[in-house]
Amino acid sequence: MLSLLKNFGLNAPKEKFDEVFEYLTQYYPRGEDPWGLNVKKARKSLEVIWPLYHNYFKVRVFGKENVQDQPYMVVPNHTGQIAIDGMLVSTAFALDVQPPRILRGMVERFFTTLPFIGMWAAEGGAVLGDRQNCHQLLKRGQSILAFPEGVRGVAKSTSDFYQTQSFTKGFFRLSAEAGVDVLPVAVVGAEEFYPYVYQAKTLANFFNLPALPLSLNYLPLPSPVDIYIGKPYKIASGIGADSPDDIINREVKNIESIIQEMINEGLANRRHFFANKEFE
Amino acid sequence: MIGFKNIKSVLIIGAAGGLAEITASLLIKEHPEVRITGIDPRPIPHPIRHENIEYLKMRFTRTKFEKLFREKQFDLVLHLARMSHADSSTHGKMEKRLDANVIGTKRILDLCLKYEVKKVIILSTYHVYGALNDNPTFITEDFPLRASIRYPELRDVVEMDQLCTNWMWKNQSDIETLVLRPCAIIGPQIQNTMTRYLTTPYAPLPADFNPMFQYIHEFDMAKILIDCIAKVPTGLYNIAPDEAISVREARNFMGLPSIPIPMAILYGAAKIISSPLWRFPDYLLDYLKYSCIIDNNEIKKHIGNSAFRFSIHESLELLKLE
Repeated sequence: MLSLLKNFGLNAPKEKFDEVFEYLTQYYPRGEDPWGLNVKKARKSLEVIWPLYHNYFKVRVFGKENVQDQPYMVVPNHTGQIAIDGMLVSTAFALDVQPPRILRGMVERFFTTLPFIGMWAAEGGAVLGDRQNCHQLLKRGQSILAFPEGVRGVAKSTSDFYQTQSFTKGFFRLSAEAGVDVLPVAVVGAEEFYPYVYQAKTLANFFNLPALPLSLNYLPLPSPVDIYIGKPYKIASGIGADSPDDIINREVKNIESIIQEMINEGLANRRHFFANKEFE
Repeated sequence: MIGFKNIKSVLIIGAAGGLAEITASLLIKEHPEVRITGIDPRPIPHPIRHENIEYLKMRFTRTKFEKLFREKQFDLVLHLARMSHADSSTHGKMEKRLDANVIGTKRILDLCLKYEVKKVIILSTYHVYGALNDNPTFITEDFPLRASIRYPELRDVVEMDQLCTNWMWKNQSDIETLVLRPCAIIGPQIQNTMTRYLTTPYAPLPADFNPMFQYIHEFDMAKILIDCIAKVPTGLYNIAPDEAISVREARNFMGLPSIPIPMAILYGAAKIISSPLWRFPDYLLDYLKYSCIIDNNEIKKHIGNSAFRFSIHESLELLKLE
């Protein structure tokens, strides 16, 4: 696969990868971690993802200066029908942010049962979205990637594009428990991977599927993607994992609004793409 | 807590096993004054020659087993006789295992209480938690035991553990009891499923899953058993190192050729094939699919970090040397 990419001039920049993975190899001296991350395999995956990230989706990353050398709960909006946005955000944090880090993406239970895909994701840093996993990883200084909108965010019909769906609260309680800042992230451009989508919810329920998008295309279009990293949202003193619901709800709503605002600003500054106009 | 000064007579049940052999030799080396009685229905392959060690070939469900308790006045009992699944054909021997592991263990515990044994240490296994896709990493001792959810063949493992823990809390004012749940113990003297899997050339390797494993070297496990006698109070303890290794890395490290096979095919094949090259019960195959990584913080509160002398790579290296 990698040699094929090389033939098309789509190979990953060796110097950049060497530099990043020299750092990551020091960070994970055993090459693996108990959740199944494998640094060598992660590099290979990123080398394959790079042409998609750099040449196909032409990702731009803004707000890199907001990221410091500390663990974060990274919370982006979720868009694009399939979790390509997660892959792009993870790539950005590994290759375009200092210091580089492998985000530990929280995945659904069914994902871990998928042959090859579950293994590939785990070797690239993904972990089962479980409270205990999250707590342990944050305690070890790892940054978590969580999508509080879940499937509701990713599986939207065209009419709901770029409208954040209500956030679940678990990520905030876990951040509060670990005393880790929340890093709001907005992904703009991913909705246009599949610009004309209707979510057949009744049919999805009938087949017991998490979502059933009916789309004009089933391969993602090369919509340019912008990733905006916001300022860290610090958990106010006095707020903990066991704080009352109304306090937690208020905080989560604040984060949701911040991300919505970042999306709106991002939409105003996006690059031209033929499918854009419909949704601006 | 009981100290070595109160221990004069020790019973090791399952003395023919590799771990029991190492534990007995370490115990007699560190405390030569202690009298050890080792029993096993199997012949003892390498009996230790020492004036204070006696071996008896007997089943621990027989009447003369009680006589032994009456006469020897044991202060400490190490129950290392859980019948493993290593020699099981795919579904066979379940009845035998239930009898040995559940009924046999109940009998041992009742005798310990009746004859005022001061401490009993029972070796359970990490298998009790089960290998499931929604297992968190670093499972703590209070996590539900789900091994038999998918496979009733693992009932004996779970029932034995639960029997011991219930008994432990019920009788905690009369007897100190430890239930240990170690990760996969490996070493040249241990003939369990995992050691065999790691040392077998051309063993199947899941092509589509790569679960993480914790391995503890047999010497470390034996040393921890000894440490538990005087340092660890009544309770349930996971025993595992901090680190973990994927099954693929472990097999690669062992330098033996493997045959990558998708799990779906492996399940089917394991039901049919049971060859001398690869004996692996099909109901244990989930452990090659999903991780079951256990948390070791509870035991480390009592024995510290230094008890784990060999890293996983060192343990594998030692296994390779054999």
